[in-house]
Amino acid sequence: MKLSLRAQERIRLTFIYILCAIVLIWALAPIYWVAVSSISTRQELYARPYKIWFPSQPTLESYHTIFTQGAKFRDGSFSPTADLMSSGLRNSVIISIASAGIVTLLATGAGYAFARMEFKGKNAIFLLIMLMLPLPIWVSLIALFFIMSQLELVDTLLGLVLIFVTLLLPLSVWMMTTFVRDIPYEIQDAARVDGADRWRLVYSIILPLARPGMVAVFLVGMLSTWNNFLIPLIFTRSDDSQPLTIVLTLFIGQYEVAWEDMSAAAVVTMLPPFIMALFFQRYLVRGLTMGAVK
Amino acid sequence: MAGYSYRYCWHCDIGGGQHLPRKNCLLMNFKTRRLLSSDSRYIIVVLAPIILLIAFFIYYPAINTFQTSQTNFNLRIHREQGKAKFRGFDNYVKLVEDEEFWEVTGRSFKVVIITLPLEMAVAFGIAMLLNQRFPGRGVMRTLTILPWMLPGVVNGFLWGWLLNGEYGALNGFLYQLGLISEYQYWLREPDHQLFWVTVVQTWTRYAFPTIILLAGLQSIPEDLYDAAKVDGSNALSRVRYITFPLLLPSFGIALVVEFIAAFQIFDVVWTLTAGSSAGGAMNPFTKTLMLYNYELVFRDLRVGLGAALSYIILVMSLFVGLIFVWRVYNQGVQEQ
Repeated sequence: MKLSLRAQERIRLTFIYILCAIVLIWALAPIYWVAVSSISTRQELYARPYKIWFPSQPTLESYHTIFTQGAKFRDGSFSPTADLMSSGLRNSVIISIASAGIVTLLATGAGYAFARMEFKGKNAIFLLIMLMLPLPIWVSLIALFFIMSQLELVDTLLGLVLIFVTLLLPLSVWMMTTFVRDIPYEIQDAARVDGADRWRLVYSIILPLARPGMVAVFLVGMLSTWNNFLIPLIFTRSDDSQPLTIVLTLFIGQYEVAWEDMSAAAVVTMLPPFIMALFFQRYLVRGLTMGAVK
Repeated sequence: MAGYSYRYCWHCDIGGGQHLPRKNCLLMNFKTRRLLSSDSRYIIVVLAPIILLIAFFIYYPAINTFQTSQTNFNLRIHREQGKAKFRGFDNYVKLVEDEEFWEVTGRSFKVVIITLPLEMAVAFGIAMLLNQRFPGRGVMRTLTILPWMLPGVVNGFLWGWLLNGEYGALNGFLYQLGLISEYQYWLREPDHQLFWVTVVQTWTRYAFPTIILLAGLQSIPEDLYDAAKVDGSNALSRVRYITFPLLLPSFGIALVVEFIAAFQIFDVVWTLTAGSSAGGAMNPFTKTLMLYNYELVFRDLRVGLGAALSYIILVMSLFVGLIFVWRVYNQGVQEQ
């Protein structure tokens, strides 16, 4: 018996949607559970053996707790989580926006130079920048820590921003170079014949056309800085500069474990990347795959 | 307008493509000579900060670390680096003779060897699914990629909570399905810990190979499949003889990048199983090379030894890393 085309299509789609459901459970269940945990009451969250998959009375109590009280998390020393959360949030926002902004400016200027100009040592400099990519970062970090201590840049936002800008450079320069190269020559020819110098070209012709590339560089820079853990782990000590990723780990592994509060802290930490991933994914993917996908 | 592009030099930068030497350039000789000096000013202003940053934050410290690796610098004994003694390659020998070093190295490779196939299998499956045509594919793609964009420390925490022995959701889920009769401590056995580390690493990273493989799949021409269908081949052999061979380059890229990511695993382990908040002891059963290196330098303060280890790690990942750079470099500079 041969099925009609429509029936065949329906079977195919049903099959596909079942697979989609499985994939979505794999991809989203952990995120869903931490979000649910953060708005559950303690009794419901700790229910066993039957779990309550959605709270009967959703509450924002945990968020209120982590931002207003504290003192129960950190080992030994008395340190209110409230202050840690707000300083962490502030530090994360400052370093990710500052690093992303600076690196976008630097990479746009350099991207134009690499894409459109000819100068001595161009390939050597480009290679030197790109060689950073596979370099296991420890090789630099160990000595850098002592250098930064001598300069008193450890545990400062400035120190973090400088390091992040440097680490973001290879990816950003590469992105802008390929991006500027794709801008057609014809547009800048007229200006060039009139004698416009490079600054004028970049400012009035390349900048408007390269905006999507710059947005991608900025977003990738912001995301990587926000998500980074290793750099602040080494270069921060106090709430002067500790970002949220560090604050979150300070909550974990203490004797009094309040999972609902920690879940709330985790949700706060992952919310900005989550939102960026939902709304700006096209830009982020382009940047993070280094042009392996257009 | 193709005719005019060869009459000008690079400094005039008109037309793109082939350019004459400066002395033969029409414009340069009478009109835009001043552009030349402004060009070099532009290059200096734009590149100087980048070169300075990279020299100061990456290459100079890298050289410095190498020098440190040849000393017995230990912060507990020497307060300043200058007081440490030159010891040649002693640190390297010490590490290679140390049993813990081999244990940790073995563990790192174990993580890589379990993670890569796991990731590729998951990614290949999802890429095949997303390559189908169905309503809602765009949304599906966006949601599938989400975990990759989240902070690694959060991912470790999410899974640690999911796998919790007393109140974990995985326990609840399996219990409700009747698959387990009582709650399990998933992260208790050392072997299991390492396995879960690879699972979480897979969860964190599978989106990247998925995107690469999906792009590869979409570049395979439909005709090939149609021709094979006409020849009467079944779905399985079409995957085996068409999809797979044509996807090999994509698999190559994905494997190189994921090798580096898995080999340098740090964040995920830190919150999942390292069990080390400020100052606490580090769980020895999931200590991979990067964590070991952190411990040597910043916990044990044996800076010289840690510096040597960082260079051993460099050599181990250099080969795979260089393939990656070579590809990127070619795309960035030579394909013009």
